[in-house]
Amino acid sequence: MNTAKLYLHSMGMLMKSQLQYPVSFFLQTLAQLVMEGGEMLALILVIDRFDRLGQWAAGDLFFFFGMMSVTFYLTECFGRGITGNFPYLIRSGGLDTILVRPRGVLTQVLCSAVDPRRITCIAVGVTALLIGSRLSGIRWAFLKGLLLVEGILSGCVLILGLFMTEAILCIHSVKSVEFVNALTYGGRSACQYPMDIYPRPLRVLFTVIAPFAMTLHLPASCILDKPLYGWPVWAAFVSPLSGPAVFLIIYVCFQKAMRFYRSTGN
Amino acid sequence: MKAYLSVFHIRRKMELQYRGAMLGGILCQMFFGLILISLYRALYASKPQELPISHVVSYVWLQQAFFRMLLASDPDLGDKIRTGSISYDLCRPMDLYGFYYIRIMAQKLTGSLMRGIPMLCFALFLPRGWGLTLPSSPPGLAISVLALILGLLCVCALENITMAFTMRTLDAKGVQAMLNLLMLILAGNILPLTLFPDSWQKVITLLPYAQLLDAPIRFYTGEYGMDRALRILLVQIVWVFLLTLLGRLMWSRNQKRLILQGG
Repeated sequence: MNTAKLYLHSMGMLMKSQLQYPVSFFLQTLAQLVMEGGEMLALILVIDRFDRLGQWAAGDLFFFFGMMSVTFYLTECFGRGITGNFPYLIRSGGLDTILVRPRGVLTQVLCSAVDPRRITCIAVGVTALLIGSRLSGIRWAFLKGLLLVEGILSGCVLILGLFMTEAILCIHSVKSVEFVNALTYGGRSACQYPMDIYPRPLRVLFTVIAPFAMTLHLPASCILDKPLYGWPVWAAFVSPLSGPAVFLIIYVCFQKAMRFYRSTGN
Repeated sequence: MKAYLSVFHIRRKMELQYRGAMLGGILCQMFFGLILISLYRALYASKPQELPISHVVSYVWLQQAFFRMLLASDPDLGDKIRTGSISYDLCRPMDLYGFYYIRIMAQKLTGSLMRGIPMLCFALFLPRGWGLTLPSSPPGLAISVLALILGLLCVCALENITMAFTMRTLDAKGVQAMLNLLMLILAGNILPLTLFPDSWQKVITLLPYAQLLDAPIRFYTGEYGMDRALRILLVQIVWVFLLTLLGRLMWSRNQKRLILQGG
């Protein structure tokens, strides 16, 4: 409980400090809007030219896109401590100051940053979800809403976990290891579209190793009433749990890796 | 001229230093390329288009290979402006605009060639339908190289305009990010310009951003034939001229009213 209070308190303080430069903040928020708006424009143009993608109609594609961007940017907004410069903290030796304080490492890292500029990206994602829901004529029910929330939340946890792998590798190699970006940012790009359109190696990568398909696509396809991979409905409720599961595995690895942590000095 | 050449060599050597980062960058870029190509292949399987898929695939590979030409900016200048050490550059007996122009050119050229050539070699050997196809014709390749050089001049001029904004506002992260994103979209990095709606083609291919990579790629794939070569190259030259002129004006105005940040 104390941890949650601490997190909320530091979020409040960080927000306040970011708002000290209102013009810069406004322009950067606008830039985020242009960025995610550009991605959505690309989707609109693709739909304009191709109409559909395999079994998925235009509305379904909007829905998948929206689900990915809401999940990814919620994580970037509230988990900025981990998705931002966690590797840099290790490289620069800044982790030392965290180690001497009487709180967990992850708690403190999570409390160290927030990125409210992402709000416009999340707004674009929500818009895409609404358009998708309208175009595909989704009949909402309580269970479907629950599934949407479950998918998004477990997706957030999964993305946090994937970003932590870079920090783990950084403990061992000191240098930042950019190819992990292939899983995080690459996952975001690839999984804006439903997974079943990709060739097998990519499908395996994003279903088993970095299970974006399990956490986001199965619930989304269940909400759209079009089964992905032909899996049954109950699978859509169970599969998002793979997100927290992956996070747990990576968390244990992180704890193990911390024993090898040697400060680089500062 | 000699001074500019030595600035070029210094920056080129600096760009060559980080080989590990380069390898990571290549792998990442190739992975992104493969994702995009799988997506377009799936889209084509649903609804084939007039434009052959091999053109789209080549477009994606060339965009990924020269990604570094679009997005590489001089990180030093921002710091120099914020700390006031730009005053040292003002003392140099050379034109400031030219100094930064040549620096950014060395960085973009070295960065993109170092990453691009290994990537393109790899892409040439991929199976049919996944890899880069050979250029449409030898003269097409020659003109596309020429167009690429003009594109490089264009992107360096654009970068200098962005830097001029940085000088004005000190913290130009917002403006910079927006201009860069505009570039990624309108240069065809996020979605090939050839896949934009047909009715837009006339306008978007005339914009400066289309001159950077889109025009050279279209010469490479044979989308632009020899008969249109002169017209397209002329458009490119006009843009290089206009953008350099605009950048120069902005820089000289900035230099007149530059306030140094003391420290």
